[in-house]
Amino acid sequence: MTQYLSVEFIAMLTGFLLMVIGVWGIISQKNLLKIVIGFSLFDTGLNIVIVSLSYVKNSTAPILDKAVEVSDAASKIADPVPQALVLTSIVIGLGVTALMLAYVMRMFREKKSLEINSYNELKW
Amino acid sequence: MDFDIKRLGFTLLGLLIVLNWGLLMNAFMRKIGARVARRIGIPWHQPWIDLFKNYSIRSQITHGLMFYLGPIFRLSGGVGIFLFMPMIITGDHWLNYSFQGDLVLIMYFQFFGMLGMALGAGEGGHPYSAIGISRGLSQFTTIEVPLTLAIISLAIQYDTLSLADIVRAQQGGFMHWSMWTNPFATAAGMLAALGTLGHSPFNLVMAPNEIPIGPPTEYHSTFLGVLQSNGAILHVVEAALFMNLFFGGATNWIEFIVKTFLIYFWSVFVGMVFPRFRIEQSVTWFLKVPLVLGVIAVVMFM
Amino acid sequence: MVNPIHIVSIALGVAFALGFLGKRDKLSLGLVLSTLAGMVAISAGWFIHFLNSSVEPLQIFTGGFKPPFAINLQMGLAEATFTLLINVAGFLGAIYLTKELLKTGKNMMLIFLVFILGLNVMVMTRDLFNLFVFSEIQSIALAGLIILDPNRKSIPSGFKYVIATGLISSFLLLGTVFAYYFSGTLNIDFISQASLQYVKGGAVAVFMVILAVILELKPFPANGWALDVYESAHPGIGALVSGIAGTTSLFVLYKLIPVAPFISDILITLGLVSFVASNLLGLSQTNPNRLLGYSSIGQLGLLSATIGMQQLLGDKFIFIALTILISHFFAKAGLFWLSGIINRDDIKDWAMLRKKPILLVLFGVFIFSLIGFPPLPSFFGKWSLIMELSAGNQYMLVTSILIGSFIEGIYLFRWLGYAIKLDFSDLPEFKLNISKFLPTLTWGILLIATGVVASAEMEGLSGLSYWPLIFIAFIYLIDELPIYIKNTLSIAGLAFYSWLTLPELYYTDMLRFIFMGIFLIGGILTLIAGYAYKGKRRGFYPVALIMYAGLAYIIQASTTLEFFFGWELMTAGSYFLIIRGKKSINHALSYMLFSIGGAYAILAGFGITFAETQSMLIASLSQLSNMVPLVFILLAIGFMTKTASLGLHIWLPGAHAEAESDVSPMVSAILLKAGVFGLLLLMIAMGNNPQIATIAYYLGWLGALTALVGNMAAAFQEDAKRLLAYSSIAQLGYILFALAMMSHLGWLTAMYYSINHFLYKAILFLTIGAVVLKVGTHSMYKMGGLIKNMPLAFIAVLIGIIALSGVPPLSGFGGKWLFYNAVIDKHWYFQGIIVFFSGIVAFLYLYKLIYSIFLGQLKDNLRHVTDISLWFAIPIYILIIGIMIISAKPEWLLQPLGKMISQWYPNGALAWNGGLATSTYGYWNGNGVMITIGIMFTTILIWLIVLSRKAQKVKQFNIVYAAEAPQRPETTHQSYNMYAGYNKALGWIVAPKITEFWNMMSDWILSLAHFTRLIYNGNGQRYLIYILGYFVIIYFLVF
Repeated sequence: MTQYLSVEFIAMLTGFLLMVIGVWGIISQKNLLKIVIGFSLFDTGLNIVIVSLSYVKNSTAPILDKAVEVSDAASKIADPVPQALVLTSIVIGLGVTALMLAYVMRMFREKKSLEINSYNELKW
Repeated sequence: MDFDIKRLGFTLLGLLIVLNWGLLMNAFMRKIGARVARRIGIPWHQPWIDLFKNYSIRSQITHGLMFYLGPIFRLSGGVGIFLFMPMIITGDHWLNYSFQGDLVLIMYFQFFGMLGMALGAGEGGHPYSAIGISRGLSQFTTIEVPLTLAIISLAIQYDTLSLADIVRAQQGGFMHWSMWTNPFATAAGMLAALGTLGHSPFNLVMAPNEIPIGPPTEYHSTFLGVLQSNGAILHVVEAALFMNLFFGGATNWIEFIVKTFLIYFWSVFVGMVFPRFRIEQSVTWFLKVPLVLGVIAVVMFM
Repeated sequence: MVNPIHIVSIALGVAFALGFLGKRDKLSLGLVLSTLAGMVAISAGWFIHFLNSSVEPLQIFTGGFKPPFAINLQMGLAEATFTLLINVAGFLGAIYLTKELLKTGKNMMLIFLVFILGLNVMVMTRDLFNLFVFSEIQSIALAGLIILDPNRKSIPSGFKYVIATGLISSFLLLGTVFAYYFSGTLNIDFISQASLQYVKGGAVAVFMVILAVILELKPFPANGWALDVYESAHPGIGALVSGIAGTTSLFVLYKLIPVAPFISDILITLGLVSFVASNLLGLSQTNPNRLLGYSSIGQLGLLSATIGMQQLLGDKFIFIALTILISHFFAKAGLFWLSGIINRDDIKDWAMLRKKPILLVLFGVFIFSLIGFPPLPSFFGKWSLIMELSAGNQYMLVTSILIGSFIEGIYLFRWLGYAIKLDFSDLPEFKLNISKFLPTLTWGILLIATGVVASAEMEGLSGLSYWPLIFIAFIYLIDELPIYIKNTLSIAGLAFYSWLTLPELYYTDMLRFIFMGIFLIGGILTLIAGYAYKGKRRGFYPVALIMYAGLAYIIQASTTLEFFFGWELMTAGSYFLIIRGKKSINHALSYMLFSIGGAYAILAGFGITFAETQSMLIASLSQLSNMVPLVFILLAIGFMTKTASLGLHIWLPGAHAEAESDVSPMVSAILLKAGVFGLLLLMIAMGNNPQIATIAYYLGWLGALTALVGNMAAAFQEDAKRLLAYSSIAQLGYILFALAMMSHLGWLTAMYYSINHFLYKAILFLTIGAVVLKVGTHSMYKMGGLIKNMPLAFIAVLIGIIALSGVPPLSGFGGKWLFYNAVIDKHWYFQGIIVFFSGIVAFLYLYKLIYSIFLGQLKDNLRHVTDISLWFAIPIYILIIGIMIISAKPEWLLQPLGKMISQWYPNGALAWNGGLATSTYGYWNGNGVMITIGIMFTTILIWLIVLSRKAQKVKQFNIVYAAEAPQRPETTHQSYNMYAGYNKALGWIVAPKITEFWNMMSDWILSLAHFTRLIYNGNGQRYLIYILGYFVIIYFLVF
């Protein structure tokens, strides 16, 4: 039971929950901005999941200094790789979100509508 | 091919016999027709008079080359069938040129005259010619079906396609005739014969004549003479074909004359009794009972 | 050698530098282009390096650490090839977009560069996370490129694209992170060594990774977003998306397969579903870009399936995948580029291409490449694919690949037909911009070049000489010269080839000698008629020669591959010949569809043979012991599409009737014999198998019914050429019947008929064609009485119909006589009766043909037509001499034929005594009959001339016509609906049930396509749901 109460588990659960909420938002909301927000939520959840994976109990930040000896670094520090990844991922997520918003702006400028259903011209 | 003057002589003599016999049969036919209709009819020598008159007329018109060649094709067709058909089976004198080809040749040579005549009449430009020809061709397609079945049945039965061999195989008495040994083929063949001999009920082909215009009016004088000669020859050789196929052939001219007469008048008598079919009726008629008989004939010998 | 890392570095460097250039757009473009050129140079250098020596791939370590501690890139032959493809396409793509890039400014150029860069790294990287990063970079860049041409359509589709790829790359990221979690590394090689598929969560992780890559390949039905992008983005961008982005994703998939090997099986299914479904949906498209999108997705499906088949295909995998991929790569980009050049929204407007004929040629090359015609690379790829799959007994896969390809053929050839045939006079003029033309042309040339390279790699293709094809290319190059030069050269070419091949074949192989003679001599004769045409007749000679080359290859082929090569070449050439006719657009399409269908059946048959015998020799057909009936049926169906047997015949009447006057004899008298030759080869190889006898029995019936229906339908035609076309169907029915007898006499009949049909059908089609040229109509009832104007034509038709009908003494009778003997010998009485019956039905249409045209009443508007062109008369009368010789001396033909056939069927041969042939049943002296009839006919003729020498010639209307005078020839010419009574009696036999059946099939397929495509309702959210649903469903299918 205790494993379910651990930080990393709660973090991961939260992350997934956010992802589900995000996906739900993306596919159920009709407003373009809400879709983008849904996507943002999804992204955030994803990042939380990534971070939660690198967590090692009772460990410290992955910086080799006086506090952590090189010899027992592996057991003492959190895995640095996912943390590095999550930084990149956040940046990319930011880029994508910005791109989406830019698109939404252009779309709104063309049609004065934020309803996704008004952009169904291309089909079949 | 060695030139054989004796064979040529006998063949020409046979042709003369057949021509005259054909003319006489024509006279008989018209006489019988007249008597059935309670008329007096023509004298028996009328065909010779007609022929002589037609060949003597010196005013002729022509519509062009093919028109001119039509009767020649027609007569060549009639004479050709005669040439490739054995007449009297005994001896070698009256076998004509049947050594050059078998039954299949005769079957297909029938078309030579028909096709040529059709082309000639076609050039005449008369619409009724074309109507008559289209009917004739239509009818002929289905006439051939029971006839071919009968012939194939005989070919299986006698194991040959040679007409002379088929006749030889039937020698030795009445019981050896195909009529007896292969009755279904005979029945199919004789029903088809009604069509090939072209009397009622299958004479819609010539019906445009009865409105008294049409090809025979275009083809007058010498042309008509040629056509009449052909008609006489063709009637006899067609009958001879059926005689050879089903009724044991002929061993002498008397037998030949009796048998061809009976075969020919089978169609004349039927024609006297039955009214004329419309073209779609006659086309389908041959695909009914005659076809079934033909199939049975083939199945029996398969 | 420049380190490949510099591909990244210079691209990045220039991208940053562009920011400092201010508004100097031209300079920026120059910089971008030279950067791309530099990238090309680097990858080309490595490509050549690896091509020449088999060295280990180069590993590039970043940050000074070895993996798994740092990102590493790899440059091997595969990477060099793909980066080269990407960079060349990027370079040419940028040239193509010069105008657009200059208009939008340097930001777009920057994005373009980054896009290409992203793809390069995706190919080279061996690090999963790096892959994710650069695929994101690439897709963000692409999202920018989509609005290169911002409009109402492209902006929403860009949005759909962003959210869809956002979702997909999240899967990739999630999968990557979990893969790291379970394996402790991000390096692809290390992850695959960790065999994560056996770890519970690890399997899910790699599944997510691989599925994200699959989703990038736009599988059906989770691909609505991609279709919208294809449709709305500038075609120059579409070319990049379809050509290089798709190619890169495929390479990534290939690279990642070892990480999740369990995906292979399902990948095959997914790919093929996507292949078949996309092509099906393509059927109802009219927008060229969207259509290309569907086709593109289909090809990606096929290719991803091929990647899944890696294990099945063994050594051949690389060759197969690469040839098909390269065809797709060049062809699809080329097509998108063409679309950008003409810039129309409806595929029917592609007739515009004809304003610049070179574009039409390129279009044809691209289309044929997608379908897989020789000598283009995908032909070899598909061939090897089918062979290897068959060898692995994967018949389900073979079937679905062939079905998908067939459906693809439907819309591609329909499209090609539009471009070739539709009226283009209303369409606007357009300027061919060199920057747009050059890349397209380069792609076309490279496509052909790779085809030639690929052909050198093939086993079993050594027997074919490429000289005929080079000669054809030369003829194409001089297409601007007048007809008489090209015609003379073409005839010389065929004559030279005849001289080269025929004498040798005469002594070695009689069968091939005869068919080669029909093909080549027939080719020369029909080409002579071409002198009658004026002007340049653009495009005629290359395609005619392609057909003849194909036919010659078929004869010379010793392997199944060579045979199929020739077969497809012939199909392509004849397709173009047929489509030249004025109203041929639909007929050419149905010809092509039946041909492709048939060709695929042949391919499958050869595949099965290869699977068992492991040999590509045609002779190996006879060594087959399993599945003989299936192979036989498949091949027979393939060949019977050419002989137009009942059920597969509906293409023929229209195709032959609407073809040009000298093309009709080519495709009728000559081309159909290819099917006969195929059937003969097949029966020679397999005839000894007892199971074949049963099939042959049914083929016999089929042949008989074909003969009946063909002749009967011919009798009811009003169009002279259509009549002859139906007659061809029937004649080929006779030949099929005779072949199916598989006896000495049967084959003798078949061979005799084949030669005869060649002679008289060539005479008839040439003559009627020449008449049509003079009178300007095909409808017989509009002609009439032409005998006086056209005696030469009349005599030719007369001889032709006598020979065809089988009336003695001309050559046709020999066929009939042989037929009777063969039928009785084989005991096929009832089939035989049908054949004889249909032979007599032939009289109906033959008479109608000659009567309606030459006899009867001459029409007023035709009073002054003159006889047929001398250039037509020459070949016609040469053929007539041929008929006369065969008629007079049938033994000259029948004796060698009999000797030849005795090697397969020694029993039942004819006995010869001079001119007298004797069979078991009958006898026939062709020579004697000819003389007898000749003498008799002459005698009667002389007699009649003596009697009626003074016959007076009368005028046309001087006929006895009741009480009225005929006034108009139209009302007096009895021709229209000539056999009305016959139709009433037996017309039901030719009720168009078969055409109805095929129409029903096509309606059904089209409505299926229409209904299925409704799933793409245009809503971006719906597309996301499909992606999620796809993910979930595949998840449950895998686990």
